[in-house]
Amino acid sequence: MAENIKWETDIDGALKRARVENRVILLSFFNPD
Amino acid sequence: MDAVTYPDGKVISFINDNMIPLQVQFDIQPLSTDFNVKWTPTLITLDTEGKEHHRTVGFLAPEELIPSLLLGMGKSYLETDRFDKALTKLEKLLAEYPKSDSVPEAIYWRGVCRYKATDDPKPLKEAYEQLKAEHTSSEWTKRAYPYRLL
Repeated sequence: MAENIKWETDIDGALKRARVENRVILLSFFNPD
Repeated sequence: MDAVTYPDGKVISFINDNMIPLQVQFDIQPLSTDFNVKWTPTLITLDTEGKEHHRTVGFLAPEELIPSLLLGMGKSYLETDRFDKALTKLEKLLAEYPKSDSVPEAIYWRGVCRYKATDDPKPLKEAYEQLKAEHTSSEWTKRAYPYRLL
């Protein structure tokens, strides 16, 4: 079991991985406060 | 989400094994404007071209997040005409998370998916009948109401 979610932090990187791995993207907007 | 749901072991495994997770601050541009984000947490399922297919706003516990993500994946595949993959995700949701709040919507979209895959309207009526029997007060039962006539 992984220890953490392996978050991408920019949309371009996420889209590139999504196309290569043929997976959908979970885009999570958060408030740091 | 960061305190309770995202640290959950099943959630971590599900997301890492099935999706590309992207987390950004709510006000980052241009994403915040492009996706019209007004509140957090906002979770959106995107296809490989960056198009939105499913959105939730507000906290989801681990036992609700995974079926919600399965629903998002199912809708993403359905709306890009990959009906077999969509059905796989929706069936997994219904089999493994039968008590989830996502179930009525999944029943609805499974009916739509079966119809679009076969051109046979019978699955739409079956979806309505199942919704009426098992989820009488759901908004998805109301949305499927016209299918009783098929």
